[in-house]
Amino acid sequence: MLMVDWFMATTILLPALAGFVLFFVGQPAIRRLTVLALSVILIIASLLVLQNGPFTYSPRPLAGVAWNQLLVAGDAVLVALFFYFGWRARSGLIVGLVALQAALVAYLEFALAGVAADNAPLFYVDHLSIVMALVIGIVGSAIAVYALHYMDHHEQHLRVEPSRQPKFFFSVLLFLGAMNGLVFANSLPWLFFFWEVTTLCSFLLIGHDGTEEAQRNALRALWMNLVGGVAFAAGMILLETTAHTLAVAEIAAERQAGGALLGLAFLVVAGCTKAAQLPFQSWLLGAMVAPTPVSALLHSSTMVKAGVYLIIRLAPGFEGTLLSPLVATAGAYTFVTAAALAVSQSNAKRVLAYSTISNLGLIIACAGLNSALAISAAVLLIVFHAVSKGLLFLGVGAIEQYIGSRDIEAMEGLLRRVPLLTAVTMIGILTMLLPPFGVLVAKWAALEAAARVPLAMLLLVAGSALTVVFWTKWMGRMMSAAPSSQRLHVESLSPLFSIPLVGLAALAILLTAALGWVMSGLIGPAVSDWYPTVGLASGDNGLVSSVGAFPVWALLTVLAVLVVVALVASPVREKSVRAVYACGENLAESGDTDFRSIGDGTQAMSLGSYYYVGVLGESKINRWANPIAIALLVSLMGVAIL
Amino acid sequence: MITPSIALEILVTVFALVVAPLAGGLLFGIDRKLTARLQNRIGPPIVQPFYDFIKLWNKDQIFANRSQLIYVYVHLGAAMASLVLLVWQQDMLVILFTLALGGISLVLGGFSVRSPYSQIGSQRELLQMLAYEPMLVLAAVGFYLVTGSFLVAAVFARGTPLLFELPVIALSFVLVLGIKLRKSPFDIAAAGHAHQELVRGLLTEYSGRYLALIEMAHWYELLLVLGIISLFWANPLVVGFGLSLLLYFLVILIDNAVARLTWTSMLKITWSWGAGLSVLNLAAIYVLSYLGWIGG
Repeated sequence: MLMVDWFMATTILLPALAGFVLFFVGQPAIRRLTVLALSVILIIASLLVLQNGPFTYSPRPLAGVAWNQLLVAGDAVLVALFFYFGWRARSGLIVGLVALQAALVAYLEFALAGVAADNAPLFYVDHLSIVMALVIGIVGSAIAVYALHYMDHHEQHLRVEPSRQPKFFFSVLLFLGAMNGLVFANSLPWLFFFWEVTTLCSFLLIGHDGTEEAQRNALRALWMNLVGGVAFAAGMILLETTAHTLAVAEIAAERQAGGALLGLAFLVVAGCTKAAQLPFQSWLLGAMVAPTPVSALLHSSTMVKAGVYLIIRLAPGFEGTLLSPLVATAGAYTFVTAAALAVSQSNAKRVLAYSTISNLGLIIACAGLNSALAISAAVLLIVFHAVSKGLLFLGVGAIEQYIGSRDIEAMEGLLRRVPLLTAVTMIGILTMLLPPFGVLVAKWAALEAAARVPLAMLLLVAGSALTVVFWTKWMGRMMSAAPSSQRLHVESLSPLFSIPLVGLAALAILLTAALGWVMSGLIGPAVSDWYPTVGLASGDNGLVSSVGAFPVWALLTVLAVLVVVALVASPVREKSVRAVYACGENLAESGDTDFRSIGDGTQAMSLGSYYYVGVLGESKINRWANPIAIALLVSLMGVAIL
Repeated sequence: MITPSIALEILVTVFALVVAPLAGGLLFGIDRKLTARLQNRIGPPIVQPFYDFIKLWNKDQIFANRSQLIYVYVHLGAAMASLVLLVWQQDMLVILFTLALGGISLVLGGFSVRSPYSQIGSQRELLQMLAYEPMLVLAAVGFYLVTGSFLVAAVFARGTPLLFELPVIALSFVLVLGIKLRKSPFDIAAAGHAHQELVRGLLTEYSGRYLALIEMAHWYELLLVLGIISLFWANPLVVGFGLSLLLYFLVILIDNAVARLTWTSMLKITWSWGAGLSVLNLAAIYVLSYLGWIGG
């Protein structure tokens, strides 16, 4: 029991405590030491809980005060803070939403006594929570370490004086603690408390740079997530009054109906706001004004993953009801629409943002498909997306600090300029896109699970095809290089950059190589806790489902052999390298980027990518995409009537 | 420890890997002969693709940079791997993903050289993938709805031909083949012949041995797509082969009868007539199996 006490304190309270320490102690050396030590501790703690296995936990009263009373106090503090931020910004919308949310929570906590009456354990750490803890511990820590170096450079660049890093790392560490709390919580009011803390942290982090744009976008993130908070509170009231329980494990254990099902629909909507699903995508897009580690954190291991986690967590509770296909359709709709929007973007961070939204849509679609195979796909995606997307944001952030731009057009020929950063970013994209890497294996499982749900299946097919376009276009820009036989000159990076980057890149590949273990040791148990089968099992050559098979290792071996063969069989000789055909004489003195054109004039060669803005631009798509998205979310509410 | 069944499997695999490019090359030779006759020319001998291959192979190796070459090997290797997966009767979706891996690799090869022709060619090749991928995946879904499995093995285990339930999807392969073979009206990324506004599109900066390898990958891909078409009549397979050859010659006829389209028309045609009608085919299957008229 003591061990469990320590574990919970280490994963939830320690990051928050360390955050408070860093808030008051500004010395860079102490900051570095604290963040590094905490990262190691969080990683070890998440590995220990993996080894230890599931458990339930209710903390003993603290100095005679019940924890549920502390919760009420915590909620009050959050409401006060949100109210203050709304009032400071003169935002009637935020103030109104806070008031509504406060009223709903007060009604739940005092009139219904929804918190105190429950005898269920406050925390329930099952296999799904453990998977999430690993993601938060490992990917989150890598991002925090990276931020140490990034923020120094960032503040130098913006000439921030005095340093605002104490505030920054306070929010980052509090965020990690809150995420752990969120995934361990069994009591919905507790989950809600941590949920609101992540809203608070994201608000603080998005507005961190203090520019007008940053503050505007932070406020947008705040009100959209408060909408989610209101939906969450309403969902809790419905569940308390109809199902008479607020314990997640009990709600998920049986199929809900009537008012309780409507409550679940509200919670799904809350999850969709946090996961930035259409029509709430704009808060996540606006969030990229923040320093890049914030984006990495929001997109990979925290925040948006909380949204999809909640929906997966509750999915067994609406399995077999009408809510399932509706959620599947809504998720698949965001999957395809966000992928289409990504095609028109030339800003690398926006491409990544739309890709995140799209993948989260796929995860939610899987939760809606609600079979063991689909849930396996969803959890696989959470894990592999977190690693690859974390890596991609860190890579783009580092590239931006080197080349001064996050525009894909400015990344032309990046391979020759910063080979190491290009390589890790390429690994990030390739592991998002190609077989046999984890994300694609998950997509395969999702497609096979969707084959009997016509509309969702069609949307998934279209979205998968669009995904190939935007990733490949981007890689093409980075790899585009003028003729040369020169060896690549690898840049030197701070270890605070290279260790998280290379570590995550290696992890993205190794996890695929170890997919059998990932499936049987991590994801299988998380699925079979709630579903009769695991959906996906590891077979002789890879993964096997009841309707198909994915020979992961055979393909991985083929890919490795091909790359080795290609490297050995293609020697670079000076005399073999030629200028490209330019429909005119090449001018060697320009490095062959100029050529002689009409009337002997010199013509510079300049290349760009296609973005199809006229067809797939945001203004074209959003016009119809957002209304449809709203209609789909409203349709979720229809489950109570039918 | 090599058991007889593994030995047989290895034998079949090697056989497929050797025979496929020979058959593919011959089919391309027949295509050139037939096209020439349609245009009142005598045309080259049908083994001309192999002469071309040997000549290209022995040329001096010139290229723009090293990464360009790596993609060629991945392109060829992925085409071979997807054919092997088909012969092993593996998962249809995995076969298609592996084919896409090879496609993406070729596109990256075109992008990796700072040349306007090859880069525009690559952009267009991506659009071509966007055009045919949905049709292929919908075909796989059709296989699943009829057989209850994504494994090719399930197609062979079934007595009646898939063609009866999936006639429209089978026909959509005319579009898939046309795009994959770079035939008019879909030869926008790189035409088979040097009569393209982008020089040779994404292949412009490849020459000699590497162009030969890309050509060989093309032979494998042809056999792969013909193999998938054959699955529509898998018992006896020989009828399926006949069906696939029929569609192949239909594509050659269309190639000679129509002009090149723009990418917008290509996407419109493939997504509406190709994917759209495939969806109707699938919808019919959903309804019929819901009514209990067909199994699956």
